[in-house]
Amino acid sequence: MSEQSKDVCDPNSAAEASNSEVHSSLGVPGGLSPPASQAATLAGPESPPLGPTDAPLASPPPQAPSEEGDPKALQQAAEEGRAHQAPSAAQPSPAPPAPAQLVQKAHELMWYVLVKDQKRMIIWFPDMVKDVIGSYKKWCRSILRRTSLILARVFGLHLRLTSLHTMEFSLVKALEPEELDRVALSNRMPMTGLLLMILSLIYVKGRGARESAVWNVLRILGLRPWKKHSTFGDVRKLITEEFVQQNYLKYQRVPHVEPPEYEFFWGSRASREITKMQIMEFLARVFKKDPQAWPSRYREALEEARALREADPTAHCPRSSVSED
Amino acid sequence: MEEGRAERRRRTEAPSHPQGGTGRAGVMTDVHRRFLQLLMTHGVLEEWDVRHLQKHCYRVHDRTATMEALEDFINNINSVLESLYIEIKKGATEDDGRPVYALVNLATTSISKMASDFAENELDLFRKALELIIDSETGFASSTNILNLVDQLKGKKMRKKEAEQVLQKFVQNKWLIEKEGEFTLHSRAILEMEQYIRETYPDAVKICNICHSLLIQGQSCETCGIRMHLPCTAKYFQSSPEPRCPHCNDYWPHEIPEVFDPEKEREAGTSRASKRSLRSRQH
Repeated sequence: MSEQSKDVCDPNSAAEASNSEVHSSLGVPGGLSPPASQAATLAGPESPPLGPTDAPLASPPPQAPSEEGDPKALQQAAEEGRAHQAPSAAQPSPAPPAPAQLVQKAHELMWYVLVKDQKRMIIWFPDMVKDVIGSYKKWCRSILRRTSLILARVFGLHLRLTSLHTMEFSLVKALEPEELDRVALSNRMPMTGLLLMILSLIYVKGRGARESAVWNVLRILGLRPWKKHSTFGDVRKLITEEFVQQNYLKYQRVPHVEPPEYEFFWGSRASREITKMQIMEFLARVFKKDPQAWPSRYREALEEARALREADPTAHCPRSSVSED
Repeated sequence: MEEGRAERRRRTEAPSHPQGGTGRAGVMTDVHRRFLQLLMTHGVLEEWDVRHLQKHCYRVHDRTATMEALEDFINNINSVLESLYIEIKKGATEDDGRPVYALVNLATTSISKMASDFAENELDLFRKALELIIDSETGFASSTNILNLVDQLKGKKMRKKEAEQVLQKFVQNKWLIEKEGEFTLHSRAILEMEQYIRETYPDAVKICNICHSLLIQGQSCETCGIRMHLPCTAKYFQSSPEPRCPHCNDYWPHEIPEVFDPEKEREAGTSRASKRSLRSRQH
């Protein structure tokens, strides 16, 4: 077990190595799990990626290091090499690849992480290894470190290990002040408006919102569960599946109710990314009322804002980005 | 964020050197970084939104600075991105010439961006639709023709009903545009996949005679067969009373569209945007 953990890329220390270079603290919840269990979990998805997904980010065959730098040649090798991948466990330790290869891999990983984040998908470490790093697993620490550096310098983003337990990374904005920039362009982002509408409804109710209540609200906007919408498409699928997958909403069966009914709750991602004050501002804007028209909710929002300020005194108070038009 | 003040100062003041890059590296400040973040988040943006975004980034990070002209701003960023094989690419919608921008990866030569979103059979459906679109005369592939290829897809078997929904998914994710039951490429797809398309279909691909970029929709000369984008013809023939083919000089038989005017767009846009954004998106 311990030999395996030496070979296998340890996401925690890799993340630490990358993060220490950009001076941010590692958000590791609780203690570190022993290396043996990490190795065990990593051993699972280690088997060579079959099933072509056509991602050119598959690993090149071990002979690849002879090709220098040219990304297109590497691409072709990857496309061909995908068909006959050697099982990584059986290899003797290969010669270290040319630095250009590692730089190339770092760039691929950077793009991979950016795209995953753009699609609001989970950045899962085993996926990173399978889809991008591939046979360069032994050097994934340095690849990860380089990628983090680039992301910090060019994009102002931290590649942070958010959960050691699930081996999830996320891209966190490293710039101040922290604002919900997506909402800043909300007049062009109908999805956010739709989501905020539902989150606000749940928030105002103070508990889960029944699906029927949500549709009552959406009906006002001309959205029906059975009608396809020109922008949203299948609205029901969007709110019950996609928003749920992205952890913005939770969609659960109401217990002990027949016939079955479902209700919506805030998802973990919504709780992380959206503050109660932003919801109040959104409500104020949509209903053209003062946020204090919802007094108990407003009080809660103030409480949360105070707690956030106390937790991180260096963070600038989020401006009302919701009102940006 | 738990960064030292020194680190923050260093990042906003000192120019950063791109990884392994030399040459004229632009100065990367938090204004540029936020711009890149948000451009990436949105995938593809129209020029009006991009200007708005630029203004927003200056407002957030550097109120006192004079805002650079958009073109210089983007060129500056691109000079830093060059060594990473990515760039902010500018294109235009093929039907009415609206400028659009997207952050694209120059190194990948396949449909990698879509790969993580879609299953194998879905990706293959897109590839089939793409081929039909490229081979077509009009740049459009009919829904019927695409769905008839459902049996030839790699991966799990897909029914036609399912395929219809997958096509809708492509439309929502801005890879395809649908018009009256026919599909063509969204400007985002053209921006992101131009390289891939030119390399994968070198014989079938059509090129605009004016701008020399990939052409999906456009007008063609009936005599010599050269093609031009609609916005390219608009610009080229703008002040010609008698439009003639630039290649064979024969009379150009098609109606010349109007040049896209961002001013007119903004006037139309502000009256819409002043209403509640959600309610204005009903149909």
